[in-house]
Parts: sequence; C-alpha cells; structure tokens
Amino acid sequence: MKRRAIITINLLIMGSILFFIFRYANDKASESTHNSIQAFEKMTTTTSQIIVNYLEDEQHLCDIWANYVNSAANDGAPMTANEAISYIRKAKISPEIEGHLIFLDNAERKGISTTGKVSDLNDYTVSYKNISIFDNIGNVSNENDVVNLTRAYTNPSNGVQSIAFLNNVMVIDEESGELVKGLLMRVVPLSRLEQKLVFLNGEYENVEISLIDQEGNYVVHGKSFKNKNFFEYYKSYNTSSAEEYDQVVKEIVSGTGTMMLKNAKGEDCIISYTPLATMKTWSLLAYLPVGNFAVNRSIDWLLLGIASGGFILLIIFNSTVMMSYNRKLSEAAVQANQANEAKSYFLSTMSHDIRTPMNAILGLNEMVIRDSKDENIRMYSESIRTAGNTLLGIINDILDFSKIEAGKMEIINVDYSFVSLLNDLVNMVQKKAEDKGLTFNLDIDSDIPTVLNGDEIRIKQIIINVLSNAVKYTKKGHVTFMVRANRIADKPDSIRLRVSVEDTGVGIKPEDLDRLFVAFERIDEKSNRNIEGTGLGMTIAQSFLDMMGSHLEVESEYGKGSVFSFEIEQKVIKWDPIGDFQESFRLSLTERASYHEKFTAPYARVLVVDDTPVNLTVFVNLLRNTKLQIDTAESGDECISLFTKKHYDVIFLDHMMPDKDGIETLREMKAITDTPNKETPIICLTANAISGMREMYTAAGFDDYLTKPIDVERLEMMLLQYLPKGKVGPPSAKGSEDEYNLPDFLFNLKEIDVGSGLTHCGSGESYVSTLKMYLDSAENNAKEIERYYASKDIKNTTIKVHALKSTSRVIGALEIGELAARLEKAGDAGDLETLDRELGELISRYRQLAKDLEPLAEGDDDDKDDDRPLISDEKLKEIFKSLQDYCEDYDLDSIVGLVASLDEYRIPEEEMTRVDAIKKAVDNYDYEMIPDILSGEMR
Amino acid sequence: MKRTIKTLISLSLVVVLLLQGCGSKEKEKKTFVPKYDKNTEFSLTVVGSYSNFESLEAEFERFYEYYPNASLQYVTMDDYNNVISSALVNSEPPDIFTTNTWMVGNEKYNDLFDSCEVISDPELGIDYSCIRNSLIWSTDSGDVVMLPIFTSSYGMLVNMDIFEKENLEVPTNYGELVEVCKKLKNAGYESPVMGADQFSGPGLFNCFIYPMFAYDAMKNSDKIDALNNFEPSSGELMRPALERLYEFVNSDCIDVAKCQNEIIDDYDSVIMRFFEGDVPMMFATGDVASGTAKRESKSEAFSANPFKYRFFVAPSGDDGGYFINSTSLCFSVNKHSRNLDMANEFMRFLINKNELSNMAGLKRLITPVDDFSFDELYSSLADVPKDRSFSDKETGLLDPAVRQFRAAIYAVGNGRMTVDEAIAAYGNIPEE
Repeated sequence: MKRRAIITINLLIMGSILFFIFRYANDKASESTHNSIQAFEKMTTTTSQIIVNYLEDEQHLCDIWANYVNSAANDGAPMTANEAISYIRKAKISPEIEGHLIFLDNAERKGISTTGKVSDLNDYTVSYKNISIFDNIGNVSNENDVVNLTRAYTNPSNGVQSIAFLNNVMVIDEESGELVKGLLMRVVPLSRLEQKLVFLNGEYENVEISLIDQEGNYVVHGKSFKNKNFFEYYKSYNTSSAEEYDQVVKEIVSGTGTMMLKNAKGEDCIISYTPLATMKTWSLLAYLPVGNFAVNRSIDWLLLGIASGGFILLIIFNSTVMMSYNRKLSEAAVQANQANEAKSYFLSTMSHDIRTPMNAILGLNEMVIRDSKDENIRMYSESIRTAGNTLLGIINDILDFSKIEAGKMEIINVDYSFVSLLNDLVNMVQKKAEDKGLTFNLDIDSDIPTVLNGDEIRIKQIIINVLSNAVKYTKKGHVTFMVRANRIADKPDSIRLRVSVEDTGVGIKPEDLDRLFVAFERIDEKSNRNIEGTGLGMTIAQSFLDMMGSHLEVESEYGKGSVFSFEIEQKVIKWDPIGDFQESFRLSLTERASYHEKFTAPYARVLVVDDTPVNLTVFVNLLRNTKLQIDTAESGDECISLFTKKHYDVIFLDHMMPDKDGIETLREMKAITDTPNKETPIICLTANAISGMREMYTAAGFDDYLTKPIDVERLEMMLLQYLPKGKVGPPSAKGSEDEYNLPDFLFNLKEIDVGSGLTHCGSGESYVSTLKMYLDSAENNAKEIERYYASKDIKNTTIKVHALKSTSRVIGALEIGELAARLEKAGDAGDLETLDRELGELISRYRQLAKDLEPLAEGDDDDKDDDRPLISDEKLKEIFKSLQDYCEDYDLDSIVGLVASLDEYRIPEEEMTRVDAIKKAVDNYDYEMIPDILSGEMR
Repeated sequence: MKRTIKTLISLSLVVVLLLQGCGSKEKEKKTFVPKYDKNTEFSLTVVGSYSNFESLEAEFERFYEYYPNASLQYVTMDDYNNVISSALVNSEPPDIFTTNTWMVGNEKYNDLFDSCEVISDPELGIDYSCIRNSLIWSTDSGDVVMLPIFTSSYGMLVNMDIFEKENLEVPTNYGELVEVCKKLKNAGYESPVMGADQFSGPGLFNCFIYPMFAYDAMKNSDKIDALNNFEPSSGELMRPALERLYEFVNSDCIDVAKCQNEIIDDYDSVIMRFFEGDVPMMFATGDVASGTAKRESKSEAFSANPFKYRFFVAPSGDDGGYFINSTSLCFSVNKHSRNLDMANEFMRFLINKNELSNMAGLKRLITPVDDFSFDELYSSLADVPKDRSFSDKETGLLDPAVRQFRAAIYAVGNGRMTVDEAIAAYGNIPEE
C-alpha cells in the first residue's frame, strides 16, 4: 500500500474518532446547555415569584393604610387629608418610603406627602402635574391585595426614582366638609426593588434582571439593555420581520419562556422571561450572554484538544517509523536492483565471453570439416560441432530465460516460409535422432499454407525444445513430429497449427508433470543424469506459448513415452499448400552434400573488423570459396583508416573492442564525409545475444547485425542481400563438375524443368548422369508397368508408378511426377477407373520424354575424364549398409536417393559391377533384387 | 521586471500607509489611560430629560472597555427641570446630569449649580481643550461646571444632487443666493428655499436672519444692555437684519405662502418635505438636521430616490453667512455623587475629541469639538471664517431680547409689520 494511502486511512480513522468526540461533546454540551437554560428559566420564575411576593407585601401595606383611612370614613368619622397623612407618617417604618395622598380631580394633581420636600423640608405639598403616571391606572382596584402599581417614575418631592402602590381612600375636604376621593400612594424607591434582585447574582454571576411594563418600558433596567424600551432595543439589534417582532412582543408580555437574541454588541444572549404572577402589567426578563452557558464545554474542548494532539503525535511517530522502514526497504530494493543489474551484466558478459571463443572454436572446426580428407578427423570435428552447438543452445536457453524473467522477451511477428521452418527443424533434430538410432517420423499436413505470419524464431525454438527433449529422453523406438493445420471458422485469414511430438521415451510420472515447467527442475534427475541440459527448455517453451496465447499439453505414460502438443494461431499470407513435405525433405537429403558456397564474388570487396585475430581468420576462411576480396582490421582506428581509403561493398564491424568499440567507430565513420564508403552497408558483429540487441544496433546506425559464432549460411545469405547484384556470380563448380555444360536441347524440353533437376541432382554432371539413367531404363519400365497392369497386378503397378514419380521429380519432370503421384494414390486406393483412364497417358508421356532425351545417349562415349572424388571404403560400406536397411524397411524413396548419391563419387573398379547392378535394379524398380546384390557381396 | 518592482514598491507603500493608519488609530484609541484599577466595580447613573440616549449608551460600552466591571445607566427623569435640583441632593443622588446654558443665570437653578463639581479643577485632569472655546461656560468665579456635549446652529439643509444636476454652487453670500435662486426658479423650482413659517427657533425667518442679527449685536456690545432692557431706541439694531429679511421674502428665493401650506410644523414636516427631493434649500436648525437620519427610511420619496444633502449656514450677509453656535446639552458632575471619583473618571473619558464626535455623530448633532471632519453633514461649517463663527453666549443677548427679535421677524416676514413698525414696537411686539 502506498504511503499516501496509509496516511489517508490513518487520518480518516483519526478524523472519525475526533468527529465522534466532537459530536459527543457537542451533544453533551447541548444537553448541558439545555439543562442550564431550563435551570435559568426556573430561576427566572422563582425570581418573579420573589418580586411578586415583595410587590404584594408592599401593596398589602398600602392597603392597610387605605383600609384604616377608609374604615374611619366608613365609621362615619372620615379623616381629613392631613389626618390621613399624619396617620401614615406614623404608620410607616422606613424613612425612604413616602405616602402621598393625591387628588386627581385637581388639575394640578396636587396632594400631601408624608415627607417634606428636599428643597424645603417644611413643605409637604406634592404635585404630579408634570408626571404622567396615572394614564393607565384609571381603574385602581379597591380590593385588598390586588397590586395597583405605577411605572417607575421620579418622585416629585425628592427626585428619587420610585414606584408607587395605589389604593383609593375617602377623606373629608376640610373646606367643603364633603367626602372626596383621594389616591393613596405608597411611594417606594426603585432601589428597594432592585435590592431584591441583587442576591441572585451569586448563582448567575452575569445575570441581569430587568422588569418591563407591557409597552416594554423598563421599570428596572439591566446594564446590557439599551434604549428606554426593551422592544425598541430588540428591534434595533435583531433583524426580524414585523410578524416576528409582534410575536416576540406577545410572547414576552404574556408567556413564560426563553429566547435567543443579539445584544448591542451583536453577541448571542439568552433572555428568560415571565410575567409577574397575579399582576400582568410587568414582565421579568433575565438576561445572560450565551457564553456563560458554554463554560462547561471547555472541558470537552480540552478533551478534544488532547485527543487531537495525541493523534498528531501518533501519526508523527508512525510516520517516522514507517519512513525508517521504507528507507530500509528502499535500500534493500536498491541492493536487489543492483544485484539484478549485476546478473544482467554477468549474463551479457558471459554471452560475449563465451560466444567469442565459441566463434573461434566452431569456425575453425568448420574449416577442419571442410578441409580435412581424413574421415576420423572429420568425425572428431563433427563431434566438436555437435558439442559446440549444444553448448550454444544451453547459453541461448539461459539467455532466453533471463530475458523472459526480466520481461524483456517480445513476440515479433514476421512473414515466414513454413517449409523453411520445417526444414530447419528437421535438419536440426533428425541427425540427433538418427545418431541415437531412433526413427524420426514426419507427419506433416500437406495443406499447410506456404507463407505464414508469426514469430518464426520463437515457434522454431519451442518445437526444437520439444523435439530435442523427445530425442534426449528416448533411448529406442521413434520420435514422430506431426503438424496439422485447421481453418478457423471466424478468422478466415488465419489457421490453427497443431504441433505434436510423440516419443517412445522414458515418459513422465504423473506426480512429476507439475514440475515439468519449473525452471531448472529436471525430472527424474537420478535416472536422467547423463542427459545434458539446463532444465530450462520446457519452461522457455511454455513461456513463449503463454506469450502467444497458447500452452503446452502433455500426455505421458511413465516408461512408455509422451506426447507433447500445442496449438497456435497463425495468420496466412500465402495459401498455397506446402505439399508433400516428407517427400521433398527426403529428396533434399540427397542434396545435402557437404558445404558449398552459395555464390562467388571475385570483384566484391569486404572489410571485417575484429580485435581477435583468430576470428578474422575464421571469417576469411569461411568465405574463401566465394572468392571475395577480404580486408581485415584489428581495431576501430585501423578500420577508419581503411574506410577512408578503399571502397568496400560491405563492412563487418565487431561491437566489443578495446579502446574504441564498434559503436564509437561507427559514429566516427558516419561523421566522415570524405570517403568512398558513404553508401556501404555496415553490419555489426556481436557475441551479444541478449534481448534488445537488434534495436540497439539499428538505433546506433548499423544496417544489420550478425551474431557470433558466425553461421556461414547466414553470413552468405547476408552477403547476398547486401552485395551489389552485379558483383555476385554463380557458385564455382567443384572440380570439372563445376564447369560441366548442359546440352542446350535440355532447356528446350517442355516436360522437364532443368533448374529443378539441377537442384535435386546437385550438379550438371550428376544431372546428366541421372537423365541418362532415366533414359536407359525408360522403355523397360514402361513395358513392365504395362505388363503388371495388364495382368491386373495393381500392387506392382503402383510400386512401379511410385518409382516413376520419384525419378521423374528428381530429373525435373514435374508434371509426369505429379501424374504418377496421382496414379500411385489411385493404385493405393484401388481406384481402377483412374488408372484405366490415365495410366496410358503417363506411359505415353514417359516414353515421349525418353525419346526426347535420346541425344544424351549419343554422347556417352565422349564422357570427359571423371574427377569426382573416389568414394572411400567406409563411405561405400555405409551406403551399402543404409541400402540394406532401406530395403528391409521397404523405403523406396530413400533407396532411390541413396543410390543417386553414389553418382557423386568415383567408384573403385572392384565395386563397379555391383554398383552398376544396384543402379540397374533401381532403374528397373527391381528393388527386391538389391538385398541379394548386396548380400552376395557382403557375404 | 520594472513592472514587478513598481508593483512591489506600490504595495509596500500601501502596506506602510495602512500600518501607519492602523497605528495612529490605535494611538488615538489608547489616548485615554484609566486612572483607577480597571477591575474597580462601580455604578454610575446619568440623568436627563432625553427619553432615549443611545449615543450616550454607546459611550458606556466604550467605557466598559477600560472598566469592564463598571455599570452605567441613563435614567430619564420625569419633570426634569423641576426635579433635578432636589434629585441632586436626595438619598440616591445621580452622578452625572444634563444641564443647559439657559439655566445659567436662572435663580431656580442656583441650587443645581451649587451641586456641580468644578470640572476645571486641574486635579481632575479633565482636558476640555478640544471643545471650541466659545462654547465653554464658566461661573463668575471662573469655574467650569458644565461642558457642552451637543451643539446646534441655524442654517439650511441643501439638496446637493439638485445643485449638481443644475450645475450650481451652493451660495455663500446673499448676492449668490439671489443669483442661484433665480436660476433655480427658472429651472422649475417654485420656491428654491423653503422652511417652516413658525415663530420658533427652527422657523424659517429665524434660521435665515437670526445669525446675522446676533452677529450685529455681538459687534455692538455697547448696545446689548439696552436691547436686553427693551429700551425703545435699541430696536434700531435690528434694522439691517429686518431689511435683509424683507428683501429676501420679497425676492424669487422663497414662496412663503407655499411654505405655510406645505410645512405644518418646524421639525417632522420640515424633514419630510425636504425628503420629497424637490427643495434645493430648506431652513433648519442643527436639531432638525439631527432628525434626518432616522427619517430617511420613513420617507417613501427619499427611499425611492435618495440624494446627498448637507447642512450649510444661511448666506444672509453680503460677505457670507454666520455660524452661530448654541449649546444644546451639557454634562455636569454631581458633587454629591457617591461615586464622585468614577463620575469624574467617566467625564475625563468622555471629554475627548473622538468620544464627543462619536456621540454627536450618533445623535447627528453638531459636535462641540473644533473639528467638523467627523460628520460629513456638518463639514461645511469648517469653511465659515473664524470672524463669523461665534457662540450664542458671546452675543450677550438674553432670552427675552431674542424672543422680541423673533417676534419682529415673524411679523415682518409674514407682512404683518413693516420694518419701521417692528423697530418702533421693539419690546412690545406680540409674541406667539
């Protein structure tokens, strides 16, 4: 997991916990606030009760005064105003409290006070003329204990802010002697009421108690309230609609509750309100800023803070530890990468270092094989070649495996000839199989298209691995290589190739099947310890198939053999069927003589650069027969020097050289403008065979590259590709054969393809000789076929037709060969109808061809000196032995091929009779006579 | 590159200026240094006749920044003028109380002034030097016992948008006034100047010509006593003012009948009519001007088409208008206060250019301090030359003489008397 993801998850978890704490704390705080508000509201109600009690008490005292005055009136002895005031003066205890007796009927609202004026202590008159407190108290209740109260006002006699409790009294007017109604006022300083509220401050330190009347005017004014009217104050600092405002007014005047509002500073505060019980003229407001309720929350904030701090410390600690681990891990990763790089470097070095000497070994060995006349030495050299190739295979396996492991292996699809691929495969494996005494069977579908598109190299490698394994692990019996092609329904441009290799080898135990594809695992190591290999072959094959979307299937029975098979899809480029590969191959075997150069180019000049002199020698010798002019250079500088002086048609430049390597040299060469080699292709010689080399070399500016050890076939192919066509001539003839001139009339014969015949026979002389044999036996053969057919001996007829097919193809009489092949098939199938219809045509064309070839017989006596090599005894014995085997196997094609190969040699006098007898037997299709001829001799 | 450097320099300058601005504000704010422990708990009561005193309550809040445990309240007293003297010496005496200049010299208030703390006592440290000197009243013994908080004046509200629209300058002398009015009249303004045709101080004739008369009186101080004593010949001092008034009411500047019809009182009606937006100049006192802010939203016409307006002195003189500054309200400290030290401390806090301007600004009255820049409405007053700026105290005129002059102009303005008749009748002109 990435560091960022881990940190994110950590943060999310911490965030969730903090969120939970926050929510929990918030809920708790809300709950606590709610409780506080409830308590606050309760306090308000209690306070209002205290005030009501106080007001009722004061009213009660006022009522006592009034009752006393009124009782006198009721008793018929009403008091005068002065008497009433005198009584009150005596009755009241507190000096701050005054009694006023006012006559409202009087315009001046004059009356008498219990206390003299401040300005004149002897003046007891009092006037309420300029004090409008009686407007709303018109109906002062006469009932006792019903609070009749003024608003807070300024006591006109002393200027003290006061409230007055009222009651009506009846007194006698001294002047008129009539009973008049007076208003008795118990005037109490407002501060007395305020004092009642002070004690509450202990519980709520910042609480402000206010009293308002129904209009909102303050009776008692809290410090935070502005304006003379609470509702005006509310309106000034709180935005509300007219309806909301009316609602607030209504609620505060008549109900009990709590509400939030903004104070003059815009702070949230809470007011709890309740109307004073029993008198609805006043409401009590308790004010407290919201902050006072939130005090408890500070504990939760602390908790939240500590938790957050803790988490931050934790994340810092964890990050530090994690970073330290990561640092160690990345160091380990760096080391691992370095080790891997070292491995790659080692592989590349090994590739180079092993391949370079291998180049020398195999190249020089090739020289030995080519030049040595001593069969023993040739045999040893062949062994060296085999062992060398095996070693190269192992190296290649290891390199491939390392490429696959590094993910650098790529599938590169190219158009390829399937026949060519098969040729290579069979060439590589058949020899090994035969060397082990195994029968190598081919079963190739003749309908396989000739040109396909796919990764030829990898497919070849897969099959080689499977085939090599089959050969390696089979001690006796056979190995059968089978390829089938099937069309794919929904892919009209592709085919599915099914490749299977069956052997009669050691087989694999069921429990070992799983280990088959494990790298470096070798199954049944104990029993197979003599078998060379790295244990990588199957792994590589399986990996390649994986990359191609396929897989290797194995069926095996321990001790009896195995079948390895796989299927791959290949795009078809050319649908022409490859035809009978077995046949073609068998024929090609006869052609497989020893090395022969593909061309000569005496006027072409190439330059080869390599720091190892032996490699230069190998190179020069490999191309000796091509007659190329070859210059050599042992360093980049020497190369550059030659490059500027002489013209070359191709330059081969080694990559790994001391001082100045191939790429550096190439760069310098490319920079040189004054050179006759501007257009000369430059090919890299390299012992590096690891992945990406082609890209590297082409990117570096090389036109192509050739791996060492140098494969002479590839080298010559490459030269054919790059040498100017005008300088390339046909391969030089070997000895006199090279100069053999074919009679001109042959080229005019429609029935034969001279080129094909030459290809099959290897040389002009051999071809003419074969044609002669074909001519000599023609009449005899034709008659025999007719005879067998006339006597309804279909079997022998078919055998004869088969032989005719083969010989016709060898000489290039392809149409006759095809006709014979068709009739052979018909014969095999008992298809008499076809035979009836076409055999006559075959015989007729056969005879006509023989007639056309008769000019050859005429020159027989004029044969030139035979300078073919004298066949060695061993070789002759080997051929006789093979003939014997083929006859036993009734392998007629091989017999024909082998006998034809005798034409390449001069035959010792003493063996001439027998060889001729054999040739004649073959020409006459008397194969059954051959064992007798041989055994007679061998006995 | 250059551009970047220039930008950086400009930014730096702006930052420096801003910082300086902040710094200076901070400095001003900190000019008050509490004398007592800031945790001192105390209560103060300020009494007065204003039913509401929000601008003072705002100052309470500012004072709490220095004394958070203080508790100040403003109490409206019933029948203030009759009760205040008693209240100052009662059992619950107020700490600070409002006073008016007209109380000076009135026997009824002798006791009141006896109760006043001497604010000029250097020990108190109350620095009233920021107040215009002409506004400071002192007792015969030279003590200062009351300090002006709000002041007022006579002049006119000017609809600046009309002047801007008509591309005219606000007139600064009588000649310009007549000129401008002619142009305005031509532009369709029936009565370029309007006002309340009332006997009162805010009445249009008083606003226009009283400052000129007061100036003349001040310049003829030798005749003041005669004027105050209603000596018949002294009425002659009114002549220049009355003749200018006569000239004015008979000019194109004003349609007095229109004023009578459309403006029914000298306060609310004046403001609301002005807010109709079609009166270039409206005579008003500072007190009337102070009522504009609250009425802007009450005027549908003004809400729909608000305009810019300012207060100017009336350009009645040939050389220019006169700024007669009268004190609206003073504060005095009750020496019987039970918290006398803290009452003085509050005064020390309040008597300061910023606080007084803040208060005046909130109340929309003319500040008593010598800086008119705090309130744009009155900013033009700073342009009146010192020579023609004076306080009502400096005129030496007593209230009865002022009332006779007001009766004279009311009669002449309304065509009930000629100038000569009014001068001849001085001392006996019927008052409303």
